[in-house]
Amino acid sequence: MPQDLAIRIEDLSITYKVSLEAKRTLKNAVMRASLKQKERTRTIEAVKNLTLDIPHGSVLGIVGSNGAGKSTLMRSIAGILSPTEGRIIVNGKISTLLALGVGFNPALSGRDNIVLGGLASGLNMEEISNKTDEIADFAALPDGFIDLPVRTYSSGMYGRLSFAVAVSMTPDILLLDEALSAGDAAFKEKSFERMRQLCAEARTILIVSHALATVTDLCDIAIWMHKGALVAKGKPEEIVDGYLKFLNVGSLPSNYEDM
Amino acid sequence: MAWDGTLTPMPVNENFVSKIQVFEPHRASLPPLIPYLKEFWNRRSFATELARFNDKAEYLDSRLGKVWLVLNPLLLGFIYYLVVTIIRPGGSLPGLTRLDHLLIGLFTFYFAQNCVTAGALSITMGGRLILNQAFPRALLPFSCAIQAFQQFLPTIPVYIFVLLVGKWAYPTTQVPGWTWNFLWIPFILICTGLTGFGLALVFATLNVYFRDTNKLLTYITRIWMYLSPVLWLPNSLRGNMKVLLYINPLGPVLNATSRVWVSGESLNNSTILWCIFWAVASIMVGGYFFISRERDFAIRI
Repeated sequence: MPQDLAIRIEDLSITYKVSLEAKRTLKNAVMRASLKQKERTRTIEAVKNLTLDIPHGSVLGIVGSNGAGKSTLMRSIAGILSPTEGRIIVNGKISTLLALGVGFNPALSGRDNIVLGGLASGLNMEEISNKTDEIADFAALPDGFIDLPVRTYSSGMYGRLSFAVAVSMTPDILLLDEALSAGDAAFKEKSFERMRQLCAEARTILIVSHALATVTDLCDIAIWMHKGALVAKGKPEEIVDGYLKFLNVGSLPSNYEDM
Repeated sequence: MAWDGTLTPMPVNENFVSKIQVFEPHRASLPPLIPYLKEFWNRRSFATELARFNDKAEYLDSRLGKVWLVLNPLLLGFIYYLVVTIIRPGGSLPGLTRLDHLLIGLFTFYFAQNCVTAGALSITMGGRLILNQAFPRALLPFSCAIQAFQQFLPTIPVYIFVLLVGKWAYPTTQVPGWTWNFLWIPFILICTGLTGFGLALVFATLNVYFRDTNKLLTYITRIWMYLSPVLWLPNSLRGNMKVLLYINPLGPVLNATSRVWVSGESLNNSTILWCIFWAVASIMVGGYFFISRERDFAIRI
């Protein structure tokens, strides 16, 4: 892989089967075996034949409707979901913020959850203890809340703390899925500022967002996905324009079939 | 809409260290084991801290808090002592020796059982972590094994306390004083932990595919305890029944537990080898089954 690439995706397809049974139980398995039946499943093609190179230091926005395969793509780049076909090569340390509060225990204090969330994200104990105050400051929790159980937090406070833990890392590649929607307008501005700082440090950032202004403001490349396939890639403004037209008119670009 | 392929020149990330990872399709085979084990070792503090915090969270809402760590084994021992003495009144053993055997057998068995039952649930209960973070999944059942060990530790002073009070109340009963044979105890605990962790890997994987494994496990562990030398002494088995001590993964370690803790005896070669056999076999079989399947977990849960 060329050294200037952070991620190379080669003809990636991710397919999985979803059981149509309400519950996957041993009883159902035994019953099926005795009747020589196969489990009823539905095949989902979450990502189809996607090829993409992402250079180091780029900020890539991913847009698309629900079910387009954006989150599946992010999870496969993070190594959480395996490709069914094709391959992904990643060069650099990855950090993910695919959901808020991953690894958090609601019964524990904010301080304890910084440790848990940080360890879940791949930080070590020394890094976490060096960054705890910085994370707490960034999350801007009201006085004393850092030592209260997070179940007592408002959803905004919870989101801010989760976001603060994720961006406290200094990964080479940061994957964000709708995370910039955490907190109020002031915190959003702070999040954007942190994103810009990470971009300035030449981190590679992938952002999935339905907030199209985020994509045009922060990204220097964008891709549009639809039903698992790559529809278009290019400058964020052009991709967002095309996507908005699709949302209003409902037709895909004429070159979609050729992609 | 087509992209002309030109990119703005990128700034340089001065801290960048090249680390290539390749994700490819797999067919229920083991991933490269050395990087996997290296990553497992590098992230061991995640498992130890998760165990510590889960332990802390478990007792936060309880008035007695961590006192339950001592109360639980005491009450458990008391219940089973009642059961055993009522079922077998006037048995051949003096009361204190039977209580000693029962207590330390129960505590050791529950250490292994807690590894297995909590570990079996760790993957299906850890859905958000599994779906959103990439890490060696075996860290979750490993964390449960650490937590089970942390909960086992307070039972040792409980056992010693009961032993001392019993010796004071029944001065004629033989209890072992200090003996170098107690140095076998770490060996027994390591074998118990490894066996429990290995079996937890098996049941955690099964539970991903069949969710009622966990319900079955309640009965499996109960039957398992009755088939283990906890409520009965290892030397009470006669003839072919002795095979129970060897086909049961916990048979050898519980046999060893009774010999060392209660009688202060050393371990014979056969017991040592069987303890090692079950620890290694459980880790190998459980590890292979779990690690070869773990890349499916994010889809299955």
